Amino acid sequence: MVMPEMAGNGYAGRILRVDLTEGAARASTLPSSWIRDFLGGDGIAARTLFEEVPARTDPLSPKNRLIVATGPITGTLWPMSGRTVFVSKAALTGIWGESHVGGFLGAELKFAGYDMLVVSGRAEKPVYLSIQDDTVTVNDAAKLWGLKTHETTSRIKEMQNDPDVQVAAIGPAGENLVRFASVLVNHARAAGRTGMGAVMGSKNLKAIAVRGTGSVSVANHDGFVELAKAAHMRVRTNPQAREMHKWGTWILTAVKQQIGELPTRNHRTGVFDGWESLSGDYIRPRYTVSDRACFGCSLGCKKVNYVRDGPYAGTLEEGPEYEGLMAFGSSLGIADYPTTLKANQLCNRYGLDMISTGMTISFAFEAFEKGAIDREMTGGLDLKWGNSEVAIRLLEMIAKREGIGDMLAEGTRAAAKRIGRGSAKYAIHVKGLEVSGQDGRTHRSIGLSHATGARGADHLRSLVVVDQLGYQEVAARRWGKDKLPEIVDPYTEKYKAAAVVETENAYSIRDALIVCWYSVSWPPIFWMDDFAKVLPLVTGIDDFGRTAELTKIAERQIALKRLFNAREGITRKDDRLPERFTKEPMPDGPGKGQLVNLEPMLDDYYRLRGWDQETGLPTAETIRRLALGWTDRFT
Amino acid sequence: MVSLPSQLNVDYSKCTGCRICELACSAKKENLFQPSLARLRVIRYDDLGVDIPNVCGPCEEAPCVEVCPVYAMRRDPVSKMVYMDGDKCILCKSCVGACVNGVIRLDIQRMRIIKCDHCDGDPECAKACPTGAITYGPIAKTARVDRQSKIQRYLRETKRTAAFSAGDGDA
Repeated sequence: MVMPEMAGNGYAGRILRVDLTEGAARASTLPSSWIRDFLGGDGIAARTLFEEVPARTDPLSPKNRLIVATGPITGTLWPMSGRTVFVSKAALTGIWGESHVGGFLGAELKFAGYDMLVVSGRAEKPVYLSIQDDTVTVNDAAKLWGLKTHETTSRIKEMQNDPDVQVAAIGPAGENLVRFASVLVNHARAAGRTGMGAVMGSKNLKAIAVRGTGSVSVANHDGFVELAKAAHMRVRTNPQAREMHKWGTWILTAVKQQIGELPTRNHRTGVFDGWESLSGDYIRPRYTVSDRACFGCSLGCKKVNYVRDGPYAGTLEEGPEYEGLMAFGSSLGIADYPTTLKANQLCNRYGLDMISTGMTISFAFEAFEKGAIDREMTGGLDLKWGNSEVAIRLLEMIAKREGIGDMLAEGTRAAAKRIGRGSAKYAIHVKGLEVSGQDGRTHRSIGLSHATGARGADHLRSLVVVDQLGYQEVAARRWGKDKLPEIVDPYTEKYKAAAVVETENAYSIRDALIVCWYSVSWPPIFWMDDFAKVLPLVTGIDDFGRTAELTKIAERQIALKRLFNAREGITRKDDRLPERFTKEPMPDGPGKGQLVNLEPMLDDYYRLRGWDQETGLPTAETIRRLALGWTDRFT
Repeated sequence: MVSLPSQLNVDYSKCTGCRICELACSAKKENLFQPSLARLRVIRYDDLGVDIPNVCGPCEEAPCVEVCPVYAMRRDPVSKMVYMDGDKCILCKSCVGACVNGVIRLDIQRMRIIKCDHCDGDPECAKACPTGAITYGPIAKTARVDRQSKIQRYLRETKRTAAFSAGDGDA
């Protein structure tokens, strides 16, 4: 084992590599050039994936990598720094895949002495990986295989006789290679999107258990602690953050209904009659029993909820987030909170991405309504809007790949292809990833985000909230007064590319650090200049104190992900939105009649990124400027 | 500075399990971020959604004082808080095993006993806690009674509805 050499700069300084085919583990030094060029998190993971997973690799083959990465501030006192990212070639989409998750896993990995874990190969039989500081073992998991995620987590804690072990586990869905299977940490925090659970399942890897007793130290301890404490006070006194502590993301339901962006009945419309029973005001007093937080978070948005009566009585579970309320609520026409909580619990236990699961079921509901799916295919089930029993039944069928669930487990794009009969119209996805709870028609910038996101229809890499919620002052400060009022008007395309590019850059640094999305949203508590203040104190690298340098690192990360996708054949022609957003005007609500005009936004986006207008790929000049010339060695 | 005899008081119902207290403690005492060397710990029960901060004291009985063979542990007769005299410690580790809260620890790197000293009356954990789950102040009997209620409520509810949930195929 290589001993930590760079202690004292935020990094553990080591990468842990585990080859499951050989059952061997080794640690290597985190190259300082990677820190300089990519900072951490998403960046160093992208660097690794690009080099080690060649074009056209089957995501479910042993050649794919499963990467768990942290950043320089993971495990420190910086607010909301308990995030971890799972990176892999995505099982659902076959392109760049990443999924961030909260909880306590990343910090524990740092305390164990690693910045990043890279898993390759495939175990012959089910195994689980145990990391206890320098002791890394690949253990038999025959007795864990088939268990749900919460059982797996509890069992591993029992076996290791340590309640502080952090476990990332897959459930039956991951074992069954459901294309949008998730990885669960801390029982209810999911690395949901793009199918990380299926990649783990394909490697016969049931769980990763991490326990670290070491430390993270920074370059300027006193200076950092002072700034971190002040940052915590900013979170604690921020009015939006206080609301978030109370309501979590449920606060969004009412906001989205108001602007006509609450996806309803498979994104057909943006207003939902039963929205009140899916809003925080309704849920919290009736169901919430406890507020919880991830590692180092003073905001604490997680809510534990308990259903006392009705068909789902006895359900005790965290969540769901707004996205879950949308996916199993408005999107299925179900105005019933307990259904969404039950669905969330089952998604967590089986290990399914709640967004993709809900949206895939929404697709099936609409295809059934339009006659593309009939009762013979569903095994007699009536896929009717608002039928919560059938929705829950389909969820379980997907997890177990039973009946029509086997086809739906491939995701909407593949399912529509199999079904045919014009059902592709109802498959609401971009590049194979089901569209999350936003709608470009009533929030134009997210239309561009969905179309250009590296992992597909993504609400987390470049979602601009400033226009969505109309923060004029923030917009003026960040993009200049001259761009008002258009830039805060969610119903126009003008200037939206500028907002998306700047936001995507800041989020890329967020994902390299790694900090939580909620520290940079509604309106941002922290932004680039805050990161530029804290990073030199953590790393001792003065260059990170310049926002221009951070912007360049961000552009490099974004371009690298784009080049990864380009290798898989992605070009401008794939940066599309479902026709629902570009051809079917919003039927009702405040945004009635709105449509997305994508092309002008794309032109602006590529121009601002330094990408070619025709191919939508980074130009030679951009590749040179971002020092990504090395990428042509890996094809 | 508080002048009344004071204790670390814990309100379980307010704890979110964020472990900022552990980070702040190790940052102040060790100049690094290392929960395993923190003088307190949060036990998280993800399956129940309950988080319980374990801090030093106040103990009705103080086993660490009773067990220490060299009188290195001293208990303030009024505040009931225990202080350790590191110079007297012979590293027998009896207190580590005896502590009912599990917050006296052995640092195997530097071979020493780690024990909360209440930051000389200005505890860092209480200052860092974002929700007021850990406070430092005059002895409050009510808080100690209260802090059991959340778990009791849970267990009662879970029991009450166990019959309902048994049939959903997912118990």
